[in-house]
Amino acid sequence: MTIKSGYGVHKLRLKFPGDESLLFRDCHFQYEKGEKILFLGPSGCGKSTLLQVLAGLIPHTIDVPMKAEQVMVPESSAVVFQDPDSQFCMTRVDEEIAFVLENLQVPREEMPAQIQKYVSAVGLNLEDVHTPIHTLSGGMKQRLAIASAMALQPEVLFLDEPTALLDLEGTNQVWETIRQLPDEQTLLIVEHKIEQMLDVIDRIVLFRPDGTILADGKKEEVLANHQEQLREYGIWYPGIWKDRLIYRSDEKISDQADSPLLSLRNFQVLHSGNVKLYTNHVDLQKGEWVAVMGKNGAGKSTLLQGIRQLLKTKGELLYKGSPIVQDDLQEIGFVFQNPELQFVASTVWDEVAYTIRQTSKNPSEEEINRVVQERLELFALWEHRQKHPYQLSIGQKRRLSVCATIHGRHQILLLDEPTFGLDAQNTFSLLDWLERLRQGGTTIVMVTHSEEIARYYADRIWWIEEGCLLKVSSDEEDGKECGDGGNCARDVASSSKS
Amino acid sequence: MEGIARETWLHRVNPSVKLLLSLGVLISLLFIHNLNVMLLLTIVILICFAFGTGVSKKVALLFFLPFFLLFCSSVLTMALYGKGSTLWWEWGIFRVSEESFYRGVHLGFRALTFGLIGLIFVCTTHPVRLFYSLMQQLHFPSKFAYSFMASIRLLPIIWDEFQMIRMAHQVRGFSPGKGWKGFKRKLSAYAVPLLAQSIRRAYRIAVAMEAKRFKGNQKRTYYYKLSLGKWDVLFLLFLVGITGVVWFGSEWVQLLPNQDVRLT
Repeated sequence: MTIKSGYGVHKLRLKFPGDESLLFRDCHFQYEKGEKILFLGPSGCGKSTLLQVLAGLIPHTIDVPMKAEQVMVPESSAVVFQDPDSQFCMTRVDEEIAFVLENLQVPREEMPAQIQKYVSAVGLNLEDVHTPIHTLSGGMKQRLAIASAMALQPEVLFLDEPTALLDLEGTNQVWETIRQLPDEQTLLIVEHKIEQMLDVIDRIVLFRPDGTILADGKKEEVLANHQEQLREYGIWYPGIWKDRLIYRSDEKISDQADSPLLSLRNFQVLHSGNVKLYTNHVDLQKGEWVAVMGKNGAGKSTLLQGIRQLLKTKGELLYKGSPIVQDDLQEIGFVFQNPELQFVASTVWDEVAYTIRQTSKNPSEEEINRVVQERLELFALWEHRQKHPYQLSIGQKRRLSVCATIHGRHQILLLDEPTFGLDAQNTFSLLDWLERLRQGGTTIVMVTHSEEIARYYADRIWWIEEGCLLKVSSDEEDGKECGDGGNCARDVASSSKS
Repeated sequence: MEGIARETWLHRVNPSVKLLLSLGVLISLLFIHNLNVMLLLTIVILICFAFGTGVSKKVALLFFLPFFLLFCSSVLTMALYGKGSTLWWEWGIFRVSEESFYRGVHLGFRALTFGLIGLIFVCTTHPVRLFYSLMQQLHFPSKFAYSFMASIRLLPIIWDEFQMIRMAHQVRGFSPGKGWKGFKRKLSAYAVPLLAQSIRRAYRIAVAMEAKRFKGNQKRTYYYKLSLGKWDVLFLLFLVGITGVVWFGSEWVQLLPNQDVRLT
């Protein structure tokens, strides 16, 4: 059964240096021109690796030892990668596409017209193509990545989880662009979030955790016959939230009417002298779960950093009824978006023990051992206790960052997009743990882009727009204005200056 | 250096020409031993920096400050510890003589001019244009040119991450302790995550570049065409002019003793 037409691999064997077992053992995969294929499978099953082999990146660019009886790589291919911030080498939009054209030795005179053509083909509507890349949103950056990929005029376009690090808006922007590509374009896509893109593809390959292919066929058939695996493998399939909905206890931990745990009045967060966020009045009740929502760059993280006094603030910040003091900050935990940046110890065990030593007075060694074990078991990290935090998978890192942050005295836990980039499995387990914390009395304030999390988990939503906390809404009441409309950070900034 | 500088004619000089001629000036500086020539040259270069680079006064002062400190420290160390026969002042191990003082001033001027020429170059040269010019005029390998340009993108990201780590340490009450041990702990607490992130990101960018069929040694065309022109001739004439002004001017304007500062 060798490959007679199209492209693919036959009897692929591949092993990552240091791993004990083969990732692929005699893997066979074949596809024809014009097909639109989706690779699905649990994290770590090797679908991205197979994509890199099929694109010819392994073994030429990425040095991984592999053997195959036959490898048929398309003559021209292009790859769009996951991380919008690490696939460009130039600083401006036109320069990035020009980089590709230079590689293809396109004459300089033809470049501006071609750049214009590719930029508009992906719907990157810029007034000036000479725009700095860092001013684009994540979704727009990925559109640029697709534009520079198309500039290679690829027979096959490979997309390696292109929307994993994007919010819903960015995800839709990417798939909208892919839909506009010519019909005959061959596509090979690895993706976890399939709800927004099922119409783009026609064939699905489903991998088992060990890297073998469980199913390969028309998308309707595979989806219908393997519902169970989709759930098990942590894939964001359509309707997952209905399947997963757990019972959210509605019992209120404290009376809403009583004094709020945290109260912000005329509160401003400053960054290098400028007002970056403003809110007129907002309260936080004990035991609440608040979702902070808004567009990229609206000031969601700034709000959290302001509450934790990591940035300078003005106005009133009342904690349990009185202005917040340094000691109170001990009771407010903060989980950063990138877990790696907050680790301070060299093993998982030490990471948790560090917090306990910091926060309790003269704990005995036995006490520390007991609490660390309890915590690590609760977050299913006990078996990894000897590893360096960096060796964990992304889901485990996130869990550790929460696990190592919380301690007994925490009243409030602030989280900056804790489910960002996680597969469904890890997202739900993290949410369940947070829910358990909340039931134990911890108040949770969480930045998220997910409308589902806001709808199914949060008690209230804080909406932030252009540096202003504008509206608080919950299921019962349909939104309460808490700023005076247009009184946004910019206005405050200009009025405070005058 | 965009944003902080308006464009001046120095921006239009071909970056390779500017680089080579600036290096030439730096080397020839090493052969100036006359104090008056050095003084005049420093003044001329200072004027070029203040009015030729297009940076705002505030930024210019900010950039100038460290080099001014360098000037002061060079003068002081050389003046206080140098050898010389005409003694002016002595106290303990400090010994200021006429020769050592002038040698200190001379060294200070040299340090200052070195710094200013570097600043003028940096303030009037856009990095992307520099590397495109290096590739086109001096056949600098594109492998390195594009690596440098890619790494420029990483710098602000690293800065953001640095801020994040600082905040995270604050939240977690990370106190590395005092002394050498504390310093080492602090260094690794910042360096390990920053390096880990940067290496991973750099690797991903490298893979992405190769996926875009960048080979490092292939023939290529250039989006920005940089060539030699009238501005380069003007720049050369300008340097010749400066040399003339300084050379002949030092005959007329003799603010400092006209002597060779080298030990005889």
